Amino acid sequence: MSGAVTNRVLLAVALALAAVYLFPLYWMYVTSLKTQSSIFAVPPEFLPGAPQWDNYATIWEVANILRYIGNSLVIASGVTLITALVGSGCAYVLARYRNGWIDAALFAVLMLQVLPPSLMVTPIFVGFASVGLLEYPRFATILAFSAKTMPFFVILCRAAFMTVPRELEEAALVDGNSRIGAFFMIVLPLARNGLLISALLVFMNGFGEYVYSASIIADNRLQPASIGMTNFLQPNVVNWNAIMAFAATYVTPILAAFVLLQRQIVNGLTAGALK
Amino acid sequence: MTRILRSLRDGIGFDVLLVIIALSYLLVFAGLPLIYNVIISFQTVDVFSLGTLWHPNAGFDNYRAIFDDPLAGRVLWQTIVFTLGSVALQFTFGFALALFFHQNFTGATWIRGLFLAAWVMPGLVVGVLWNWLLSGDFGVINHLLESLGLIEDPVFWRSNVETSLYAVLIANIWYGTPFNMILLAVGLAAIPGDLYEAAELDGANAFQRFWTITLPMMRATIGAVLALGIIFTLQQFDLFAAITQGGPAGSSTVAQYWSWQLSFREFDFGRGAVISVLMIIVVLFVSLIYVRSTKAETQL
Repeated sequence: MSGAVTNRVLLAVALALAAVYLFPLYWMYVTSLKTQSSIFAVPPEFLPGAPQWDNYATIWEVANILRYIGNSLVIASGVTLITALVGSGCAYVLARYRNGWIDAALFAVLMLQVLPPSLMVTPIFVGFASVGLLEYPRFATILAFSAKTMPFFVILCRAAFMTVPRELEEAALVDGNSRIGAFFMIVLPLARNGLLISALLVFMNGFGEYVYSASIIADNRLQPASIGMTNFLQPNVVNWNAIMAFAATYVTPILAAFVLLQRQIVNGLTAGALK
Repeated sequence: MTRILRSLRDGIGFDVLLVIIALSYLLVFAGLPLIYNVIISFQTVDVFSLGTLWHPNAGFDNYRAIFDDPLAGRVLWQTIVFTLGSVALQFTFGFALALFFHQNFTGATWIRGLFLAAWVMPGLVVGVLWNWLLSGDFGVINHLLESLGLIEDPVFWRSNVETSLYAVLIANIWYGTPFNMILLAVGLAAIPGDLYEAAELDGANAFQRFWTITLPMMRATIGAVLALGIIFTLQQFDLFAAITQGGPAGSSTVAQYWSWQLSFREFDFGRGAVISVLMIIVVLFVSLIYVRSTKAETQL
């Protein structure tokens, strides 16, 4: 078999695999555009008929999706802000030195990264209840979830800071910059891309957060879109087209960001996970 | 005073301050809860005593209640099945895909990247998608299985006690495969190509090359991926919430979901904390092995 033919066969197989794998996403979009009767058609209609954009109008008007997504944005922004402000400096120091203390700190961070939120939420909720933090449920959720995203962010950013040559920072110090000056003028700008991608990943995490919100935020008006979705899931649910329209509205921004920044996201993730 | 300020601005104090801020945050919102978790697992914490920092002492009552619970054995078994099943199949599919995309062909990297789209989605949305795909009467999966002749009657994946755990397992395999694939792909890319050329010259076939070069060279990566797989699977919660809610009759409840149910559905935080304490010990043990093994391989 010649090289060109092999190439084409492999490409075809790859596309087929991707199509099978991504079918659930296709099914989400197709279902979201169907009428109530055609979602229950037997056999299922694999191609959409006339797109029912009304489904999207309905979830805007009836299901309050704007409010839910607004709350998700608040939580995601708060988490990203706290994580980036508190975590960046720590990541920088952990990248800059090599000694027993740094190893110990790094070890602590790695161990905290693995704590499952569904298990941590019990003590956090009881603790927050006793100090009155549950009065501010979204803020409480942000505080709790930031402790989950911070170790992840520190590990990813540490990898980004390690790519900044020490010599550049030392040159700035020789030129009379203070440590703070060198950090903001030299190190941060050079590690910028890595930091931004890490922050974006934290933001995506916060945007999809569920466990803490579901446990801490009781007031319907303050709940994020992840809880907004579960509100649909009654035992004998029939309006799958509306649910899928909700899901599509919720994830399309995330998927768009991913498609645009695919290469950087993949590089950032793999750098953090294996080093 | 000025010396401290100078050090903060120009010396080691600057570094110490940066680390201390982050570590204090983690101490308050992760370290203290870890300790508090152990304390409340020995206390009676319900809606009435919630709101105070200290609760009535319960001794080992919560622990006894959990171990005597008829659900405990089932949950333990289901947690093991779910975790090992997820890790084994995510790894197998991930490795197969990584090997496939490791061949040089047009667009390989780009198409491989498409798989990761699933991985950036919120777990809850993935769960709701699979809830619909696995629906009993009108689910598209049942339709496909029927038209392939694999099943005769629709399987009620989510509402049948025999299959509910597998409904979540299937969704989790789909969700976790791309992450396995990409980490293994990084490992594959790090193997020097001339090793394969040399083996080919020596007449080794593809199968022999895989067993004698790929697998041994990938040992560290495979260990890391399997450990991370266990850690991430023990964190999985959203899919249960979106697909079966642990039911019917606890047939798809795993430990981390049970802990949450006890705390936030039955408002028995003491018993929820018991499972939380036990599971956190397991998770920390696995990650200890993981961190130690990566440290030995790469000097962290």
